[in-house]
Amino acid sequence: MARPCAVVGIGQTKYKRQLPVTLDGLVREAALNALEDANLTFDDVDAVVIGKAPDALEGVIMPELSLAHALGAVGKPIHRVHTAGSVGASTAISAAVLVESGRYDTVLTVTYEKQSEGNATWALSGGRSGGQGAGGTFAPWIREYIRRSNAPEHIGWTVAVKDRLNALKNPHAHLHLEDISIEKVKESPMLWDPLHFLESCPSSDGAAAMVLTSEDKVQRSPNPPAWVLAHAKRTEFSSFPGRDTIRIKAGLDCAEALYKKAGITNPRKQIDAAELYVPFSWYEPMWLEGHLIAEEGEGWKMTDEGATALDGDFPVNCSGGVLSSNPIGASGMIRCLEAANQVRGTAGDYQVDGAKVALGHAYGGAAQYFAMWIVSSELQPEFT
Amino acid sequence: MADLPDIDFTLEFPYTRTTGPVIGPFLTGLRDGRILGTRVGDQVICPPVEYDPDSGATVGPENLVEVGPVGTVDAWTWVAEPTSKHPLDTPFAFAQIKLDGADTTMLHAVDAGSIDAMSTGMRVVVRFNEDRVGSVTDVHFVPGEEAAAPSPVDADEDVEIMEHLIGVRIQEPLQPHRQRFLQGLLQKKIIGQRSPADGKVHVPSRGYDAINRVPMSDADDVEVEGRGTVTSFTEITPIQYHGQTETEPYIRCSILLDGADSTIGGVDVRHIPIDEFRVGMRLEVVWRDDISFDDADNRGYGLNEGVYERWESTGEPDVDPELVKEHNF
Repeated sequence: MARPCAVVGIGQTKYKRQLPVTLDGLVREAALNALEDANLTFDDVDAVVIGKAPDALEGVIMPELSLAHALGAVGKPIHRVHTAGSVGASTAISAAVLVESGRYDTVLTVTYEKQSEGNATWALSGGRSGGQGAGGTFAPWIREYIRRSNAPEHIGWTVAVKDRLNALKNPHAHLHLEDISIEKVKESPMLWDPLHFLESCPSSDGAAAMVLTSEDKVQRSPNPPAWVLAHAKRTEFSSFPGRDTIRIKAGLDCAEALYKKAGITNPRKQIDAAELYVPFSWYEPMWLEGHLIAEEGEGWKMTDEGATALDGDFPVNCSGGVLSSNPIGASGMIRCLEAANQVRGTAGDYQVDGAKVALGHAYGGAAQYFAMWIVSSELQPEFT
Repeated sequence: MADLPDIDFTLEFPYTRTTGPVIGPFLTGLRDGRILGTRVGDQVICPPVEYDPDSGATVGPENLVEVGPVGTVDAWTWVAEPTSKHPLDTPFAFAQIKLDGADTTMLHAVDAGSIDAMSTGMRVVVRFNEDRVGSVTDVHFVPGEEAAAPSPVDADEDVEIMEHLIGVRIQEPLQPHRQRFLQGLLQKKIIGQRSPADGKVHVPSRGYDAINRVPMSDADDVEVEGRGTVTSFTEITPIQYHGQTETEPYIRCSILLDGADSTIGGVDVRHIPIDEFRVGMRLEVVWRDDISFDDADNRGYGLNEGVYERWESTGEPDVDPELVKEHNF
């Protein structure tokens, strides 16, 4: 039987370009911020779990070894997680499992990316000419979503503006676009029809960290814990006969397992805030449907009606989301820790009033890897 | 027909690495003709580190101290056949060298001329190259203890970023199913594999049915048509990364070939205007007269680009996109 695990420390760097800082310095800053939040030191950490996207993004092979000094991990177990773009959330889950299993009491988990040191499109193209990149892969599926759902074209623009306005409230966010507007989004260059430049995520640098601990150690940390109620991961092949890339089976299964474990029967009503991995604007409605928050064909209506705004009934990406900061390997963990920020009441200017239950989510690869968790201010919340 | 040759592919990219507060001065020192270590407690570590390996504490640039230029070989291995990525182009030793004044070893190249000149415990001394840019390859070592003054270098900026071309040459044989697929293309045939588990035809096949977890063999090979239905497409505006040769926007599409249940992906279509391109349209391949390719791989999703001249409309009416919606990748 798994024992309870809580987030007691959160640390982030700023997600803009970090030219003066080494990879070592970057992960260390996030780790020290998380430890400070938890009122702990490296000495209190039993194991370290590190995650990032492909090594080719910075060309540092097996960075978990070279970064051990910076993370105070010499002489301790250090684990590396890699599940493409979903890695940040998978790493958080791996860290939680190490605590829940009883193997370690206190785990420091850190994820990062420093896109300024390499070229993600080169890496995702396998180093060959003529690659299509992430946007080129997702754009046709977005068009197919629009075809199936009859969503109006302004939905993508609406998400792009909403998330950038939320980012203005988040000091860590990479993009602070003071003058963002629907006009600006739709007039920005078309990158991959229907995605405009301003409907796409930036290339960011940064690291994100959390301290997770067992129930008996929670009291050592002064700030409120975020209890990890449930987590789930699912994977499917990128391409096989009959694969539905819009309503993705692994995504549906992942959400179903997650809600069941958490005791959630009505996600839209019982989740107070969600951080969904939305690197391209249209993935907000697509994941609302793809993770059983909205009925099929209804996700875009939630966006259109303002339900996903900071003051809506199902706020999504109050932190500004991946559309405002994308240090790829860290982006999934940022979703998880921002969900924790909401239920700890530590989300600052983008706090959802009274949030008790929050969802953190990431996906990766050709929308084939999923990792999600539910955190709560209460160890055993009552769902009605 | 002779087997196609093994895959031979070089993957490389120039990274721009931030050197930071400790490695930056270390590299600047090499350029300027000195080797720096860092004092951590009662030890001197060289090459220097940003963080104490024992405690994790920050080790600032104020702890940097000069070490060497002479040192002792702690361990070594002989590189008899250097590649283009090695620091020297004649046979040399990679050695762990404990520089005088340092307590740890640094891995570097020793130009000893012959393996017989190498021994553990031997003394070696640094040689600074003529042209130095602030890189670990600005120096190498030679047997002996006689220091040589570094030539002056006309530079005074600190090394803050280094460009670092990382490369790996990948050589592997083509897998058998892949060999047959590519051989088929040379004969203007598209060979898929029919899964013995559910009868679905995979093109190009992985050599196994991943969903039903069954292997497929040459007995499962089937030929499919060189015509099919567009199930998905993207217009790409190329990013000029290292090795990118595309300069103008182009289309990549997925096509469900007649007789297949999986799509060929990333298909390069350049002869149909983008504003006429749509899901559901019917296309057929126009083979090249002189089919050849030199970039065969084991991971292809589509047809090899060396085999076709273009894709053109079959003139048939479009297929309802609803009917191909589970074939869009």
